[in-house]
Amino acid sequence: MLCKIAWSNVRRAGRDYLVYLVTLTLAVTVFYAFNTISVQVDIAGVAEQNPGMGDLLGNIIAGLTVFLGFVMGFLMVYANNFIMRRRKKEFGLYQILGMGRGQVARIMALETLIVSGGALVLGLALGVGLSQLMVFFTASLFKTQIADFHFFFSPTALAITVGCLAAIFAVTLVFNLRVVARAKVIDLMGAERRGEAIKLRNPWLSAVVFVVGAVAVGVAYARLLRDGLPWDGGDAAMGAFCVTTLTVVVGTLLLFFGLSGFLLKALQAVRGLYWRGLNMVTLRQLSAKVNTVSFSMAVISMILFLAITSVTAGMSLASVMNESVERGTPVDFTRCLIYFSDKTVPEMNDEAGAGDAADAGSGRAYAAATEPVDMLATSAADTVEYDTANARPFDLASITGASVQVTVYDSTPRGAEVPLVTLRDLCDAVGRELPNGVESDDVADLGLMVMRESDYNRYLAFRGMPEIDLGENGYTLLSDMGESITGIYNDVLARGVEVDFGGHVLKPVAERVNEDASVFQNAMMGMNSGTIVVPDALVEEENLPLYYGYLLVNYKDGVSVEEGDAYVSAPRAYGDVTDASGNIVGGWGAEATRTTTYASTDSMNGLISYLAIYIGFVLVVACAAILTIQQLSGVSDAGPNYRVLSELGTSEREIAHSALAQQTVFFVFPLVVGIAHAVVALKVVIDLVALFGGMSIGGTVGLTAAIFVVAYGGYFAVTYLMSRGIVHDAIRVRHAL
Amino acid sequence: MASTQVPEKPAAQHLRRAYPKQPPAPAAAPAHAAAAYPGEAPRVLDVQHVEKVYGSRNAVTQALADVSFSVAEGEFMGIMGASGSGKSTLLNCISTIDTVTAGHVLVNGADITSIKPAKLTRFRREQLGFIFQDSNLLDTLTARENIALPLTISRVPARETLSRVEEVARRLGILEVLDKYPYQMSGGQQQRVAAARAMVTNPAIIMADEPTGALDSKNARLLLECLETMNRTYRATVLMVTHDAFAASYTHRVIFLRDGRIFTELNRGESPRQEFFNRIMEVVAIMGGEGSDAL
Repeated sequence: MLCKIAWSNVRRAGRDYLVYLVTLTLAVTVFYAFNTISVQVDIAGVAEQNPGMGDLLGNIIAGLTVFLGFVMGFLMVYANNFIMRRRKKEFGLYQILGMGRGQVARIMALETLIVSGGALVLGLALGVGLSQLMVFFTASLFKTQIADFHFFFSPTALAITVGCLAAIFAVTLVFNLRVVARAKVIDLMGAERRGEAIKLRNPWLSAVVFVVGAVAVGVAYARLLRDGLPWDGGDAAMGAFCVTTLTVVVGTLLLFFGLSGFLLKALQAVRGLYWRGLNMVTLRQLSAKVNTVSFSMAVISMILFLAITSVTAGMSLASVMNESVERGTPVDFTRCLIYFSDKTVPEMNDEAGAGDAADAGSGRAYAAATEPVDMLATSAADTVEYDTANARPFDLASITGASVQVTVYDSTPRGAEVPLVTLRDLCDAVGRELPNGVESDDVADLGLMVMRESDYNRYLAFRGMPEIDLGENGYTLLSDMGESITGIYNDVLARGVEVDFGGHVLKPVAERVNEDASVFQNAMMGMNSGTIVVPDALVEEENLPLYYGYLLVNYKDGVSVEEGDAYVSAPRAYGDVTDASGNIVGGWGAEATRTTTYASTDSMNGLISYLAIYIGFVLVVACAAILTIQQLSGVSDAGPNYRVLSELGTSEREIAHSALAQQTVFFVFPLVVGIAHAVVALKVVIDLVALFGGMSIGGTVGLTAAIFVVAYGGYFAVTYLMSRGIVHDAIRVRHAL
Repeated sequence: MASTQVPEKPAAQHLRRAYPKQPPAPAAAPAHAAAAYPGEAPRVLDVQHVEKVYGSRNAVTQALADVSFSVAEGEFMGIMGASGSGKSTLLNCISTIDTVTAGHVLVNGADITSIKPAKLTRFRREQLGFIFQDSNLLDTLTARENIALPLTISRVPARETLSRVEEVARRLGILEVLDKYPYQMSGGQQQRVAAARAMVTNPAIIMADEPTGALDSKNARLLLECLETMNRTYRATVLMVTHDAFAASYTHRVIFLRDGRIFTELNRGESPRQEFFNRIMEVVAIMGGEGSDAL
């Protein structure tokens, strides 16, 4: 019996439940489809190229799903409250007719169960289908070939999805039961919709609140643009950032709180417009409704802001990598060596002496290098297939065709504390601010790297580029970072700024930075934040310590890229980096083949795109669903009003237009505020990302916009179509006989 | 059906009457109307053999069966009947909210049963005014805005709209509530605001559906006097559906409906209200005495 009542209730309240059902179904679909990512990655052949990517993505997405499940749960509870509030009277009636609270609660639980169950079944069916299609999308994102396509079903994804849905169900249920358990019958019966919905505020006060909110948001924008992101985590910066965040949150809340009053006052001022057609009806209904939902509108605008910002920033980062990867991979294989500094050597020796005696028995001590190490020869100290009988030296020379080794020196001379040249010096020289994201209190952090002219010319020759001549006192600057850094160097060079290099005044010999000739290791982003090339003699004269060694290798003829990659990628144990006297002078750093750099760029792209789409889609759908449910219940509450309007001789079309105008405000206003927030936030984020490469939002905005248009616009369209139906029904209802 | 002669007179001349309306001189009545009802005002409403059937083949409900009557311009007319007698259905059919199964309804000579749906809203807007049992004011609008609504819908300029609203409100004694919201007014005030809204456009007919149904006796009296004022000073034609004999006694003429048919008709003539009330009560007693539901 209870089942029957519940079922017929679901059918009767179908319109409210439909949106609920559609949203839950979409959530289940997306949750399932995205959680099959580890299986998809296998099928799409990403795993061969990038082992571990599947697990990594799978774990991140599973974690995200829990988070998004929470968000979804919260929003669904809210949406459900909306449905429940409108049915209080019905629940009161059940109790008056003699049903116990327990039974009423069970009806409600059954209703929720029916809808959730329906959403699960539908969502899984769609999700299984979508995940098959997504394999192709995955393959294109990761730029791989699908080796063996077959139908698949992931029990893990199913478990995660069902878990999330169950959690949402449980939370919704608890909230619903509270409605029944708490309310007295008299309150339930008295919960007339009319009157309750009308909470009028003083429009003048609202208008003032609106202006205050707008000012607060403006102040927050200005603060954020001035301070930037607290990237270094300093207390003062974090504090300022928190104040900014708080200001914008409060400002947004006030903005929505006062919106209705402001709109009303603004439009009433234009008499001809206000007293025309249904304008005043639209405006009054809008203001009555905005009052009751201003808080949720503010929350929605902030969620939209988060979605837009994370999606756009993530995808922009991916595009930066995409653009810089070609420049960033000049050779087949690169290897980096980090020299120990004078400061760290004593500490390391102390530790080694105090440590295990066996190691000390080798008679080798740590020392700061005075001469560059021959990296190609030293590579042979590594062991391939270590710990096996087949253990043998890593013979890099055997596959190397052309190679070049360059050495980078620290610009702080031995025994000195302050670098000879810093980025700040150069900024000051051309009258520019330090770029956002590189401000630092430690002046040594801003010191440039130094390179010998002869080293650099060998590098240029190796790359097939024209060599440079610095003469007695020339210099040039190198960097492959983003415009915000290279722009400064370009200014310095173009203006012929003279650099005082330990008493030697150097003049620039180049007009601008050659980014392509500034890359010393394979990487997906710029790694060279600033190197000054000086005449060889100056390095000795200033007694500069060795910093990095870079070895750039092209495989020799007869060794294919596959063979070469396979040889250098095989697991091996690093050997010691020793100088002529057998002291350990450095440690191996990053190494990368061109192939893996490209592949990891693709993987990173894929990873970020996936997460961005996932987060963006779920958040946007959840927001849009709330708006839809609010709007539809608003329209059906206003049903009697629409009927009156119709009887007064308003055409259905005009009424539908009035409803549309209201819906447009509800959908567009939070979006506009969210976008405004996002634009300001992105400006700051982009400053940070731009350090690493040319940041362009162009292409990524397209995808973001597509997600928005499809999801948000879809809900908007559904809202309009369904509200037309409600209006139509409300008008056609017969008077009682 | 073939005998139904619809005078093909354009309704246009009635659509735009000057405001405030001057009581028309009897001589000004159109010739054809004068011919049909010598010595009387022209007919505003003509209901001819109207039938209304609800439901499908299995469960047919005959709400109206062969109902015919007419209302003259400036008349205050009542329709009485028990719940289920078909009086609301009749009102809905006249007001074009519902459609008839058979028969014709002529307003100012135009057959509204054959007006295309697209033109119905315009017709309703220009020819009809409504007052309901629950005042049906828009709860989000102030009284001023509620009264102005029919005018703004018809795109009357703001200046004229506001002055007309003031004028009607003054006549009906509701000036002091103009800037209040419905929930800030008493039921009686709400009904009077609704009455003001019904007549602000100068409609051909004002339809009142149980307007006193939700009012206490004092407020009911106030509203009925208000309707009388509208009828007398503006020569507004009022058609009021009620089951309350007291309310009906304010009218000039009452039609009694039972089971979808006209049971009888009472004319007040020159008799005082109390006497008319007694006559109405007699009819009510007869109708009740014949075994149908008491009113």
